Amino acid sequence: MLFNSLHFLVFFPVMLGLYFALPARWRAPLLLGSSYYFYLSWKPLYGLLLAGTTLLDYYSGVRMSQLASPAQRRPWLYLSLASNLGTLFIFKYFNFFSEAAVGLAAALHVPVAAPTLALALPVGVSFYTFQSVAYIVDVYQGKLAAEQHLGRFALFVAFWPQLVAGPIERGAQMLPQLRQRHDFDYGRVASGLRLMAWGMFKKVVIADRLALLANPVFDHPQRFEGLPLLLAVVAFTGQIYADFSGYTDLARGAARVLGYHLVLNFRQPYFAASVGDFWRRWHMSLSGWFRDYVYIPLGGSRAGKARTQLNVLIVFLLSGLWHGASWTFVAWGALHGGYLVLESLTAAARATLAQRLGLAARPRLHQALGTGLTLALVAFAWIFFRANNLPDAFYVATHLFSGWGQLPTAQLTAALAGLGRHFAAELAVAVGAVALLTFVDYHAECGSVAVWLAGWPAAGRWAGYAGLLLAMLYFGIFGSSQFIYFQF
Amino acid sequence: MLKLVWRLGLLLGIIGLVGGLGLAAGLRHGYVDAFYARFAAPAAGSLVLGTSRAAQAIRPGVLAARLGGRYEGPWLNYAFTLAESPYGPGYLSSIRRKLAPGTRRGLFVLAVDPWSLSMPKKWRGSGRATTFPEANSMVSQLASVSQHPNLDYLAHYLHKPFYQLLLDTDTARVVERLHPDGWLEIALPPPTANPALLARRTAEKLATYRALAASNQLAARRLASLQATIAFLQAHGRVVLVRLPTGPAMAELEKQYQPDFDAAMSRLGRPVGVPYLNYLTQPYPTNDGNHLTRTAAAQLSQRLAADLARLP
Repeated sequence: MLFNSLHFLVFFPVMLGLYFALPARWRAPLLLGSSYYFYLSWKPLYGLLLAGTTLLDYYSGVRMSQLASPAQRRPWLYLSLASNLGTLFIFKYFNFFSEAAVGLAAALHVPVAAPTLALALPVGVSFYTFQSVAYIVDVYQGKLAAEQHLGRFALFVAFWPQLVAGPIERGAQMLPQLRQRHDFDYGRVASGLRLMAWGMFKKVVIADRLALLANPVFDHPQRFEGLPLLLAVVAFTGQIYADFSGYTDLARGAARVLGYHLVLNFRQPYFAASVGDFWRRWHMSLSGWFRDYVYIPLGGSRAGKARTQLNVLIVFLLSGLWHGASWTFVAWGALHGGYLVLESLTAAARATLAQRLGLAARPRLHQALGTGLTLALVAFAWIFFRANNLPDAFYVATHLFSGWGQLPTAQLTAALAGLGRHFAAELAVAVGAVALLTFVDYHAECGSVAVWLAGWPAAGRWAGYAGLLLAMLYFGIFGSSQFIYFQF
Repeated sequence: MLKLVWRLGLLLGIIGLVGGLGLAAGLRHGYVDAFYARFAAPAAGSLVLGTSRAAQAIRPGVLAARLGGRYEGPWLNYAFTLAESPYGPGYLSSIRRKLAPGTRRGLFVLAVDPWSLSMPKKWRGSGRATTFPEANSMVSQLASVSQHPNLDYLAHYLHKPFYQLLLDTDTARVVERLHPDGWLEIALPPPTANPALLARRTAEKLATYRALAASNQLAARRLASLQATIAFLQAHGRVVLVRLPTGPAMAELEKQYQPDFDAAMSRLGRPVGVPYLNYLTQPYPTNDGNHLTRTAAAQLSQRLAADLARLP
């Protein structure tokens, strides 16, 4: 079920009405049932997969809690990891590695016929398996008490607001909330609904509109050069942020309405002053997961400079692969890893340069330059994330700045074709909506949007809500287009 | 909780009112898209079926003017596109929904060509032996096909933002016009006005269909679906198979792709008393080497009506 579908528009109020109408002790079972309904509405068979891995992780956790030494717990850890990562490998990576092996063998002139699996990727599998892995590792390390209640653990894994695209929650953050009573609270519910409305606006007005600009170019990049390519890259840079942060707002808002707090996943990432800063603001729950369960176990920054840089590269290659079983994602991860290594290696030189240029004395200008440069680097990397294959990505990357001598009218017309006959109106709506997003993010960066909103007179606030909903109705692009991160 | 429900109700009520007024104005004065009017039209007694070639070539209004006394109305062109309405179970179930209940004397013009009876070769494999590529298409999925306004369609398949309904009110500036009888008029200047443009469009269209010819083949499952469609419609009136005219290069490509197609259609229709009218090589001008121009559509519809009137 998609958040931007009619199905959800019926599901959510019905579920919410039942939730608050039922006695408190029935709310968690209702949430679990509705979570499975939410998931099964996509492909019922894969609900069994979710239930199976949940049962195994639950049992592994309980068994580990009964065993004293790490050596005794280890087989259960390995069993759970094998189940989660094995599921991920079979459904997401098997064909990728199989094809890579065949390609390698062909390069070595060894004829090999490797099998491929015709399996649809279960929605959200990358998210819920990572959440389960975090839980099981925390239990193994003794950082978290194993959840003894099967229903509660199943709800931790399947909680519908964040089941299919995160945020990736931790047991220590989420499990205590599942044990609490969640009653109706006007302020919290209203705040959750506001966040959901804002998330939906970002998705249907901004992301899906910018997609119409980016898609025609990325689908046939060789037909374009220069300005249309740049426009498409800029459009996708906006699209991916509005799409994923919009989804996260919807997820966090829905959870808040139900009385649950999900972790922050985005903190105005395009205001980041460096690539390192960007990764502390973008998909924070995934960055935190890789930090805690890959980077630190690899030695983190404790094993010397060279090893630290290698660890960073490994983490970002894996992060790229997590996003998709394709070389484009690997290249995207490698590029970000490279950025961070370069950023680290040039830190001293850049500080010296800033001193010499007088930027150190003008921190706001320094920050603005850093933000601009970071945004440009991040946008460049998105080329690899969005392109359909590596040759396309390299084409876009190498033709961004060619053909600027004359205005490519025919190419621009083709690039804008996705916006339809009213492309001028569509561009105006896109620019206006992105300006609103930037304005709101700026307020969030300076403090809190909630506090800022609270300062408005009530009539102005309600007019704002009405305006937001009407903007969605009139300017939204519907037709159940999927969130980008659902594919991961 | 009541306070929230009351406030939300008020807010959503205002949104509903403003949105409803806008929707009513948009649907009354604006243009929705190339499909909507067919799903907003009442259930029909006589239908034109097929893909985009039929959608643009056959004017039900012209057929009705000549044959209205012999067959039941309302008359509707219920042909869509190659992706949406090739012959298959999805299209048949949509036709079942669209046909007016109790129809006994309808006329059903089934436009056939090799493309609408083909499937990708790769779909022959196991696991896909019983499914059709268009299983999740709009035509297959849309449950409400005769509602005005058709909110089901608008909610699921309107791919332009709502405000554009209010901008698309000047039909003189809209190239594509879907008439209430389902005929899709493409209001382009005649091809003779710009032969170079026609040549480019034709080349692009041919390239697309050459690729299709390489990756597709005539499918027994599609032929069985066509037979099932004929069997269903024969219980409600007269069925005629028609092969529509197209550009000379496209006709040549079709002959290369399926040289025995005409014979196959004749064989399929004859035992069940369904005539097969073949206009493939008739010289009608096209917009793109494939679809007839609007003037040609009027001429062909007149000729088709005359030929249908002569049928015993």
